[in-house]
Formats: sequence, structure tokens, C-alpha cells
Amino acid sequence: MANIDTKEYSPESPSVKSRLTWLWSEYSVIIAFVIIYIGASAMNPRFLDINNQLNILMQVSIIGIIALGMTVVMLSGGIDLSVGSVLALAGVISVLALNASGSILVGVFTALLVGSFAGFLNGLMVAKGRIASFIATLGMMAGARSIALYIAEGGSVSGEVSGFTAIANNNLWIFDFPVIIFFVMAVLIYVLMHKTRFGRYVYALGSNEKAAMLSAIRVDRIKIGVYTLIGTLVGIAAVIETSRLNSISSSSSGSQYELDAIAAVIIGGTRMTGGRGKIIGTIFGILILGILNNMMNLMNVSPHLQGFVKGLIIIIAVVFQKRE
Amino acid sequence: MEMHPFVAMNGIEKSFNGVPVLKKVTLEVERGEIHALLGENGAGKSTLMNILGGVHQPDSGQILIGGEEIKLANPHVSQAQGISFIHQELNMVGDLRVYENMFLGSEIRTRFGFLNVEEMCRQTHEILAQLGVSIDPKEYVRNLATSYKQLIEISKALLHKSQLIIMDEPTTSLAEHEVSRLFILMKNLKKSGVSIIYISHKLKEIQEVCDRYTVLRDGQLVKTDIMQNENLEVITKLMVGKSISQDRYVHEHEFGELALEVQGLTSTGLFKHIDFTVRQGEIVGFTGLAGDGRTELFESLFGYRKKYTGTVKVKGKPVHITHPRKALQAGMGYVPKDRKENAIIKDLSVIHNMSLSSMGNFERMGFIQDKKEQEQFNTYKKALNIKVHNPRITIDKLSGGNQQKVIIAKWLEAETDILIFDNPTQGIDVGAKQEIYQQILTLAKLGKAIIILSSEAPEVMRICHSIHVMYHGEITARFTGDEASEEEIMHYATGAKREGEKIG
Repeated sequence: MANIDTKEYSPESPSVKSRLTWLWSEYSVIIAFVIIYIGASAMNPRFLDINNQLNILMQVSIIGIIALGMTVVMLSGGIDLSVGSVLALAGVISVLALNASGSILVGVFTALLVGSFAGFLNGLMVAKGRIASFIATLGMMAGARSIALYIAEGGSVSGEVSGFTAIANNNLWIFDFPVIIFFVMAVLIYVLMHKTRFGRYVYALGSNEKAAMLSAIRVDRIKIGVYTLIGTLVGIAAVIETSRLNSISSSSSGSQYELDAIAAVIIGGTRMTGGRGKIIGTIFGILILGILNNMMNLMNVSPHLQGFVKGLIIIIAVVFQKRE
Repeated sequence: MEMHPFVAMNGIEKSFNGVPVLKKVTLEVERGEIHALLGENGAGKSTLMNILGGVHQPDSGQILIGGEEIKLANPHVSQAQGISFIHQELNMVGDLRVYENMFLGSEIRTRFGFLNVEEMCRQTHEILAQLGVSIDPKEYVRNLATSYKQLIEISKALLHKSQLIIMDEPTTSLAEHEVSRLFILMKNLKKSGVSIIYISHKLKEIQEVCDRYTVLRDGQLVKTDIMQNENLEVITKLMVGKSISQDRYVHEHEFGELALEVQGLTSTGLFKHIDFTVRQGEIVGFTGLAGDGRTELFESLFGYRKKYTGTVKVKGKPVHITHPRKALQAGMGYVPKDRKENAIIKDLSVIHNMSLSSMGNFERMGFIQDKKEQEQFNTYKKALNIKVHNPRITIDKLSGGNQQKVIIAKWLEAETDILIFDNPTQGIDVGAKQEIYQQILTLAKLGKAIIILSSEAPEVMRICHSIHVMYHGEITARFTGDEASEEEIMHYATGAKREGEKIG
């Protein structure tokens, strides 16, 4: 049976080179993060200032929460383009519910409900309607934004309940609430993906849908669950976004969030076609994006050029991943 | 008269991974001859043809075309020598038009570099007319019937001025009248001096159209002769070979009660009127040729396909299975064929592949217990002799046999009473094959009802208590394991013979 042994991975005798490739393939995003972090500290002393560091965390927390959900969707082999629009819609409706009821709890609950319902609809279209996720969520993207604009008559709506702004603007010790919510969510999603059968099924489905189904996995339900999950996370993000300025704009809030979230997931090493990737990777991906934005602001790079740098980073990240 | 045969392959030897596939095979094809290449699955037919098509290189031996030695280094060289290979699966682009498919890669252009559509259509029309068919060259290929696609593939070969056309089972997807049209075409080609190598399992067809035949068995040349002189029985015997009869594995033990009853299962275009039963402890085999519908039948039973009618009873209780999950709940497990596409999840580790269908066994309060998974895997590793150093590596790094054992472990862990194996030893080396047979027998002794689908008649003969032969979606014959002979099975599998209801 010599031919079996040659095919097999043998941990006893890994060459230095293969060990390095393994390290790179598993942790490239962390290595990249460290390099960028050191580079940033060297280029601008203000970068290391604790307030600046906390500011970066605060800035990435909303996209970060969405990117966690996007990781799950992309691991399942799909994509969700509707997150930005759904965020605006959930924000607008939740502010209306907040003002009408005067209860913060009702406002928060409404945002979660609208977000998860939009996600559930996406899931239905993808799983039962067998529509490509790109198309289904593109439709949702246009539809949700349009409804948000219609409800808010194209403008912004503001909260009229005192205390609502506390959600995004208070802090615990040195950490702002949004940052804490982001990390709590990150831990929850990590546990969900690695310690429960739902996570296992998502990986299986993204890797080989037919084999997953033939392994008696309810593929349709998992898909609906995946889109509902990201919808709920978008609902949470909508609460933070609204609470931060106590208002939400039906036209501009959440615009291009899908791009930033997808960028973070891709930089974090998740494979576009699904089945492979890590929540940890996405967290570092979003931090890399945050540091780059911060650096460009500190160095007075024109905001019009920042998109170019971001685009470049995404493409470089994907080129490196192609080498597997 | 020519001195040399048109194509001669002399003393061709080829081995893959140290396993010899062809042993000193000689094949000669005359000009204007239809030559049948016969043999069972794995006899080496396709390897030999792939060598002629330039896909593989022989380890030793020479290829002569028109008496001159030629090295067919790649498919292009082979094509330039006038050899065309028409594969079993057609290589057509459905969204292109007929003429575009014909000229794909060798488009005619005008002086200005634009496509010369007129000229391409004219030539396409000319060649199709030669074959006696009238298809609009501008029709989209996706709108054509399979037989026409086959004809276009052949026209393509003619367009390249092919002198030798290799046809690998061209009739599997054709209806009877289409087959006869193909045969008329082949005879016309023969008259114009084109040679054809015809691979098929359907002996009746071969007798009708072929001039000579060559039989391969286990990579060796058995016989080359003129077709007219032979009757089908003799040829079947040559293909099967009496010498290699392997011992049957079956040890008699008592069967339990009925585990699975299937009545009148029908799915339009795939299979019809399927009746059979499986008892606990019984191993039931299904065999047939490509396109017999057995895989579709069991994919339907397992709930992967939904459009079927008929009744299914598990342990006497009628069940309606619309999803593999329901099949699992009813007590059915399914080890599919084409492991890479249907069974393994290559991004998951070996352990995770094992536990995938029975996550409930490894959970506490909804959380997966890694330790439990690991321990359970170790029991299967020992019981099934799975060779893996570190079960946390992804499953695609294992050899085929070990992958298959992991998939079997997955269904053992799901503890189903009925186990369906589709081509269980596909792409597995001989040693692991025996182990898998042994394992299946052990399971049967433990009282599981086992169904084995295989395209290899010897395989089902070796381990099954009873055998069902399928042809075009119907069960054409039933044998008990010890009364079946390979020739008999072949007769029913090729549609040469059929019987209404014979049950042992």
C-alpha cells in the first residue's frame, strides 16, 4: 500500500518550506495586519495614541458587525448585496417605531425584526426560489432602499426619545458600546460557526452543496438561516448607526456598506465560492481596512483617493490568495 | 492493394501508478473498416483509445500510420494525423449555432479578419448533406436532439478530413431509429474510405455494423477476428473470460424481516415500474450499463430527486421521502458514486466528514463536543482500518479507499438499517476493495439491509445474494447470486434479451 502513504499528509516530516506555506496560507491576514500596523506606527507617531486606536475600533464596529454576517453568507457560497439598504430601511422604520411608542426597547426590537425579515426574504429567494444570491440580494438592495426613501420621503428621520443616543455614545471603561457589541457578536458568531452544527453545515454547504444534501443536511433551511442571521446583524448595525447621530438618512445611510463588508471578508481570506474561511480572518480584515482609512486621514490623503487605495488592497489580497 | 494496415498499434504497454493497464496490445485497423473494440469496464479500451488520441503516451510499443512510425505526443498531433475521437459525452457548446460549433477553434475568416459566416455555413451544409441530414447551420445546438448533436460531432470529424474516427459508446443516448440512422451514416463513411473504431457494450449493434472485432480483457488482447464468423455468445465469453472467476464472498445466513419494499416506482424518462424488496441481512445488487437509470432510481428513493410515483415501505410502514433527511429518519443511508462530487466535503477535516450526518450524537446542550467526535473516529479508524496519521487534515488528502471508508463510517454512525452503496469500489485499489467487500458482508451479518449498485457485473456477483439487472430504466432480469452468470447478466444488461417477470 505504498501509494496510499505517499498521497497522505505526514506530519512527521514537514519541510521548512511547506511549513512556511502553511503558516502563510492560514495566517496571512494576521501577518499582513502586523506589517501594516508596524508600518503605520512608523509613519505617524499619532497613530499609536490610545484615543486614535480606540477611534479606529469605533469606526470599524458597524461594518464589522455586518462583515461577521457577510463571512457566514460567503462561507455558504452566497453573497448579500442588500446590507446597506436594509440598514437604512431598518433604521428608518425603527426610528418611526421609537418615536411612536416612546420606548427604546420597541425601537431596537423593530430594527432587529425588519433586518431579519429582509434577510429571511433573501434566504427564501435563494433557497426556495433558486435565484442566484447575487441577483436576489441585488433586488433586495434596490427594493429596501426604495421603501426607506418612500417612508422617509427622501430625507432623514430623527429620534425624539431621550436616552436612545446612549446606545452608541456611552462607554464602558475606555470602550465605546459599539465596540463592545462588535466583539460580543464576534465571539457569538465564532462559537456558532465552530461549535454548533449550524456552522458545520454552513461550511459543508459552501464546500459541496450536493454532497451536503446527500449527507442528509437540510440545505434549504441552512441557507434561509444564513441570510436571516446576516439580516439580524444588519438590524443591530442599524440601531448603532441611528443611535450615533440620533438620526438616519434614507438616501445616504448604509450606502456602500456592502462593499466594505465584502472587502473585509475577502481580505480576511474567505474564499469567494464558499467552504473555506474564518471569522478571525474577517476581524483582522476589518481592522486592516480601519487602519488604512485612519492612516490616510492622518496623512491628509484626499478622501477622493481613499477608495483607490482600498480597491488596490482588495485586489492585492485576492491575488495572494489565488496562489494556493 | 495496400501493404500496410491504415493504423497499426504494436505491443502497446501502459501502466498507471505501477498498475499495468495494457499489456502488449496490438490493434490493426484497415482503411474503410469498422472495427469493434470490445471488453468489460476496466479492460483497457479507453486507455488504448486515449493513446491513439494522443491523450496518453504508451510506456512501450509503436504506432504506425500508413506504415510509418508516428509519435502521438498530444491530441493535436493525433488530430493532424486524421484521427478524431468522439467521446461518450458530447463536447458541444449549446449556446452556439451549428456552424459555430463545427468551426470552433478553426474559424474561417475573410481578408479583413472578420468571420466568414457565409463560407462556414456553406461548408457545414455541404457536409451535413453528405450525411443525409438537413439541419439549418444557423440553428442553436441546444435546440437539437441528441442524435443530431452526435451527427454534428461526426461532421466535425469529417470537416477535419479525419481518416479514422473513434466512437466511444455513441448509442447510449440514442433512440432506436436514431441508432439506425447512425449506422447508415457509418456505412456511408466506410464506403468513402474512412475507418471507424467502434466501442460499445451492445453486442447486437456491433454485429450489425462492424466488420472485425478485437476483444480486450484485463489489458490483454484476447482475440481479433472477422465479425461475421462469430456468434454473440462466443464473444461474450471472450469478454468475460472463464479463467478469472473469483470466489463468491457470500456466506449464508438467515435473513430477517422485510426492510424495504418498493412497488411500481416510476419517474418519467428515468425509470419505470420498479418493484423489489430487501430483507434484513440481505445484500441486493443492481447492475446494468451506463444510462440504465439505477443511480437515478436510488437517488429518488433517497429523496434527492422528488418527481416519482409509486409506493415505498420501510419495515412495512409506507413512507414518503422528499428529502435525504427524511430518508435518514426512515432508516436509509446512501454512499453515492463519484465520491469527489457527491460524497466528500473536501474543505472539512476527516473527522468532520465522518460526523456530518449524525451531529446529534456529538452534541451537548447544542454544542459540538470535539473530544467525543475524536473518540468515535478512533473506533471507526480501527474497525475499518482507515489509514490516516492526523484526522484533522482535510479529507481530500486521503487516498480513494480511505475516503470511501470515512464515508462508510459516516453512515455507520448514522445507524441506518438500510445502506445503499453506489459503485462502492470506484477508483479504489485492489487491497482496499477487498476490505470494503468484507465490511459490507459484516454489516449484512449484523442484520442491515444492503443494496449495491455497480456497473461491474463480477462485483455484484461476488457479494450479492440476489441481483437485479436494469436496462433503459427497467428491471429486465432477476437472479439469485449463485445462479447468475456474467454472460446472462450481459445479455439482459445490453437489451439483447429481456424477460417479463422471472424471480428466483
